[in-house]
Amino acid sequence: MNNLLEVKNISVSFDGFKAVNNLSFKIGYNEIKAVIGPNGAGKTTFMDIITGQTKPDNGDVLWTDKQYSLLLLKESEIAQLGVGRKFQKPTIFENKTVLQNLIISQKKIRNPFSVIFQSFNSLDEEKINKILNEINLFEIKSKISGELSHGQKQWLEIGMLLTQEPKLLLVDEPAAGMTTEERKQTVKILKNLSLKKSIIVVEHDMEFIKDLECNVTVLHDGSILSEGTINEVSNDENVIEVYLGR
Amino acid sequence: MFNSLLKDTNHRQVLFFCITIILFSFIITLLSDLFSVNFISTSFIKTLGKTLCLCVIALSMDVVWGYCGILSLGHFAFFGLGGYMIGMWLMYKRTEIIVLTASISESLPLTPQEISDAIGNQIFGVVGGSEIPLIWVYADNFYFQLAMVIFIPGLLAFVFGWLAFRSRVTGVYLSILTQAMTLALSLYLFQNDSGLRGNNGLSGLQNIPGYDDTSQFVISIYFFWASAFFLILVFIFFFYLVNSKFGSIITAIRDDETRIRFLGYHVESYKLFVFVLTAIISALAGALYYPQAGIINPAEIAPIASIYLAVWVAIGGRGNLYGAIIGAASVSLISSWFTSGQAPSISLIFYKIEWVNWWTVILGLGFVIVTLISREGIFGFLKSIFIRKV
Repeated sequence: MNNLLEVKNISVSFDGFKAVNNLSFKIGYNEIKAVIGPNGAGKTTFMDIITGQTKPDNGDVLWTDKQYSLLLLKESEIAQLGVGRKFQKPTIFENKTVLQNLIISQKKIRNPFSVIFQSFNSLDEEKINKILNEINLFEIKSKISGELSHGQKQWLEIGMLLTQEPKLLLVDEPAAGMTTEERKQTVKILKNLSLKKSIIVVEHDMEFIKDLECNVTVLHDGSILSEGTINEVSNDENVIEVYLGR
Repeated sequence: MFNSLLKDTNHRQVLFFCITIILFSFIITLLSDLFSVNFISTSFIKTLGKTLCLCVIALSMDVVWGYCGILSLGHFAFFGLGGYMIGMWLMYKRTEIIVLTASISESLPLTPQEISDAIGNQIFGVVGGSEIPLIWVYADNFYFQLAMVIFIPGLLAFVFGWLAFRSRVTGVYLSILTQAMTLALSLYLFQNDSGLRGNNGLSGLQNIPGYDDTSQFVISIYFFWASAFFLILVFIFFFYLVNSKFGSIITAIRDDETRIRFLGYHVESYKLFVFVLTAIISALAGALYYPQAGIINPAEIAPIASIYLAVWVAIGGRGNLYGAIIGAASVSLISSWFTSGQAPSISLIFYKIEWVNWWTVILGLGFVIVTLISREGIFGFLKSIFIRKV
């Protein structure tokens, strides 16, 4: 099977504390995978390694059928290859309008010299309008994004991910703070996206993951505790012990 | 170029600004010695011309600090370097003319070696040398020195910025580094063997070679207009730059550097771009400023100058081009009024208030009060009053 991303035997420690320990992980094209685990299991470090914010002590991260090793690239280069990340807290640019947020995240050449001469043409506008409709923010595209509600900010951030046209989406707790209705909509959007993109979801909400109907990887103390469908994982004795044994 | 997200009102604002500056320049010209009205003295024209140049460097500071979030406390180093580069040509050329004129009365024509020695003696006698240093090799070439006005400060900004931004030095640490850079440069220039006349600096810059017969008030009007046009040019350039997508990105860097990095932008290149660009514009402003000031010495590059620059921008209102201009113009004009001894001293029974000494206290208080009342400076304050009325 072809893999979009392959993480091989990575380990990283901070001051002697092993945050990630000999972890391997694969995700194919157009696949959704969920990563769960208790606090301190290494979920965030795992994401940081993929996006290049943290460099592992050993192991390798390979991209698109082992063409690239992401460890050799800078954060911005990794993002340009097609890794988009949605943070746990909505991190939009609150001083800018909804539209400006989407324009700066739109997929374009990103070096300063070409940005100065870039034009915002009707094709770009069409693409952004389409995304604005998908995330229900078309009507308020000129609003300063700091004034949006929490849910709308989450949508905007997903919209910012979409305009980047990434191949792989890293989504950190997308449903946090959302109403049931909004959560359903998020599931729908993510499933829709997975027709064209690969998605890694980090989530605490078991219901949400059940709705996503995807493979689940359980992390504990920096390594994989269990893998499989949600039913397989939730019946795994090790998992039950880690989650309920505390 | 600069595809921006501007509305018609924004374009009108720019037009309004340009017309205001041009009208202002006309009025000043009409009131000057040029038309024998003699209402405004030549030295005041020079002060105004210099103030316009200071507005330009304030605009640079606003873009690098107010928009991109890099608190550079070293932009006066670039301003000064620009002045030095053009000053070299002004001083060399003028000395050459003096030496050649004097040599006419000699019975034997001077050899090139003798001419060069005489020029060297004139310029460097004061630091105890007569040899022309290597960096003055092309000082007789105006275009070369003009290119150096852009190249030398640009190179310094590039090398410094590249090293600093690449190591992800940010915030206070970066500010301290830029201060160290200015201090090091000024200390270096203070040395006699720096090749730029040590603490004497370059002088006689108000005499423009080739315009010996033109009186100073005409020259001052020329420079005043040149400064006004340069300010307009820089304003238009920066206005469209900060309102374009590029501007969106640099303000995003100011607000959340990590986030914009995850969008795939190489933050360091943007910072370097803005740093070098503003350094070059500061240098050009310096090259216009010092012929009006007449003298440049290393004290001009002292760290305090760059700190004042930040104060001007903060008082005027950062993150807003008008604010930078208001701050630089008002504070520097008031400051020159207070420090030139024009402000009348106030005699109290037991103490005499001399404004030359007390001005910095007023400036400090003003800075504190403005930042307490309105975070966006004078311009933000005016804007809030205006908007409330509407």
